[in-house]
Amino acid sequence: MNSWLCAIDHKRVGILYMLSALLFFVAGGMEAMVMRAQLAAPRLQLITPETYNQMFTMHGTTMIFLVAMPILTGFGVYLAPLMIGANEMALPRLGALSFWLQFFGGLLLYFSFATGDAPDAGWFSYAPLSEKPFSPGPGLDYWALALLMIAGGSIGSAINLIVTIATERAPGMTMRLVPLFVWMTLVASLMIVFALPALGASAVMLLSDRLLHARFFDPAQGGAPLLWQHYFWIFGHPEVYIVVLPAFGMISEVIPVFSRQPIFGYPFVATSTVAIAFLSYGVWVHHMFAVALGRNFLAVFAAASMLIAVPTGMKIFSWIATMWGGAIRFTTAMLFAVAFLWEFTVGGLSGVAFATVPLDWQLTDTYFVVAHIHYVLFGGTVFAVLAAVHYWFPKFSGRMMDEKLGRWSFWLIVLGFNTAAFVQHFLGLLGMPRRVYTYPDLPWLGALNLISTVGAAILVFGILLFCANVAMSLFFGAVAGDDPWNAWTLEWAASSPPALRNFAEIPEVRSRRPLWDRKHPEAPDWMAVRGGA
Amino acid sequence: MGPEASGSARLDGRERRRVNKRTQLGMAMFLIAEAVFFFLLILACAYFHALPRLYSPSGWILTALLLAGSVSLWRKWRWGAMALDAVFLVGLAGTPFAMLTAVLGLFVLAGVIALALVPASGRSALSLYWYFFTAVWLVIFGVAGQV
Repeated sequence: MNSWLCAIDHKRVGILYMLSALLFFVAGGMEAMVMRAQLAAPRLQLITPETYNQMFTMHGTTMIFLVAMPILTGFGVYLAPLMIGANEMALPRLGALSFWLQFFGGLLLYFSFATGDAPDAGWFSYAPLSEKPFSPGPGLDYWALALLMIAGGSIGSAINLIVTIATERAPGMTMRLVPLFVWMTLVASLMIVFALPALGASAVMLLSDRLLHARFFDPAQGGAPLLWQHYFWIFGHPEVYIVVLPAFGMISEVIPVFSRQPIFGYPFVATSTVAIAFLSYGVWVHHMFAVALGRNFLAVFAAASMLIAVPTGMKIFSWIATMWGGAIRFTTAMLFAVAFLWEFTVGGLSGVAFATVPLDWQLTDTYFVVAHIHYVLFGGTVFAVLAAVHYWFPKFSGRMMDEKLGRWSFWLIVLGFNTAAFVQHFLGLLGMPRRVYTYPDLPWLGALNLISTVGAAILVFGILLFCANVAMSLFFGAVAGDDPWNAWTLEWAASSPPALRNFAEIPEVRSRRPLWDRKHPEAPDWMAVRGGA
Repeated sequence: MGPEASGSARLDGRERRRVNKRTQLGMAMFLIAEAVFFFLLILACAYFHALPRLYSPSGWILTALLLAGSVSLWRKWRWGAMALDAVFLVGLAGTPFAMLTAVLGLFVLAGVIALALVPASGRSALSLYWYFFTAVWLVIFGVAGQV
């Protein structure tokens, strides 16, 4: 136990991140189910409106800050050193400190339940709703303090990943040869360094307002609520890509291996990632189209928001082209990766809809937004993480996951998620606002909400089956060996699970598929590239 | 044990350069994050005229103390820098409360503690920290005089 609490080895810290994300995923999932139960029929009163407000606030905050970010960081911390041929993170103690900061930030957030006053102003806590006159209890103070800790931890882990990727790569591994998961983790980490401070500044100002009688956001005292929106979304929109880019990286590793073809258009995938990172800082106002801003202002941000779909679309085409003509193996990991393409595309397309100002005005703050964010974050990030767990579980544990159980959980999750989230598009189009704890008995609202709740229940069964598969495979799974998928990147050259020192000797890298080169000395990739040049 | 754990005395020249490179890059990233953080805070405070009143004798003395602390660190007088910055913190506590200088004061306090604890191998990176926060103070001081 002590060896885990004091761990600085990147693999243990990575697993701690994943376990903590799982813990909070259970909490966030339970909050979601309470909300879906409340909304299963019109005019239900299973919980009070106040509790409902706390549920959606904690659900959103938990899933973004305590699940999506830590799970991706966990994969990055575990895998990035292995994939670049390093034996350790560059700053291992910083890595451990960052994890504990994030974890205790999460505990602090949940401690607010014990005080009887959990935060209740939504995951983006718009002012002046989050100001003292409207939220007099301590819930929002816990929220802001917890977010400060989580932001500090996230920045620490991002710095650690950046320094590791910049300084610890194996001999010969230039940035043009770095695995795409590492590329995208690097870009996401740089985005964290630039974006999270905006969240920190917002939280400090909110705390000043609430505890020190400052007047940044309170209009009654000359403050500007819009300032909160600007600062929050300067962080908030890059945040979407912070929790999606590493997921793109996971898909970019899984699809080539199970299609038996190298990724199509590596330079385009890598450069489009950088393009997304730059553009993501210029689109935050599309979250504020409903605010009375100037027409030119809206036009610029609408155009930028549509533009960001281009590099994202390039990735989708690249993954499809990688599969095209390949010898595809539909393992559970590959099934989740292929499902990701569909789910994320649905979320991306509804995102383009929100970039259109008149549509945004109609749909903002309706259930269409709820559907969109869930297709991006669950259909995108969570599906990619599920693909990644099935793909890298043998490396983490030395054992294979059960494919039969995996397929059952896959179909339950796909069915449950789409049933729960797709109908929410129609609820939004019918005008049902989000964040209401009940609704009138109007045509279709009750039926669609019931379908959504049933879907959420199926999804829970799917997730439980997945968890059971992980737990059973950990003890009873077939022994995996070092490279069960016949993969190409360096983590598969280490033992499964990797030893404390990842590599007995640091490998030399000459192509993007160093393990292919090792297995095929008669036709290594680097020779083909040189011959082609 | 990770690379950070090694004391500078036990590091050979090549390893020391590697450690320096890591810590300096890490510190540079941290300072970029802090630059964004303080830029947004200063912008908001300037917009709302919520800047501290620093154009007073005590403000000039605090500025001189922080500058002298940075010069001391540049001359590698670690204890001198710590003493000057500790006096700065005491002086800051005596000025009327302002959120911006209070936040900066927390970072200066963290810096004083780090100066006392960080081994020699990390001090060049820590110097960057000091120069950065001296610069932030100068920006606050300058903006407070203009607004």
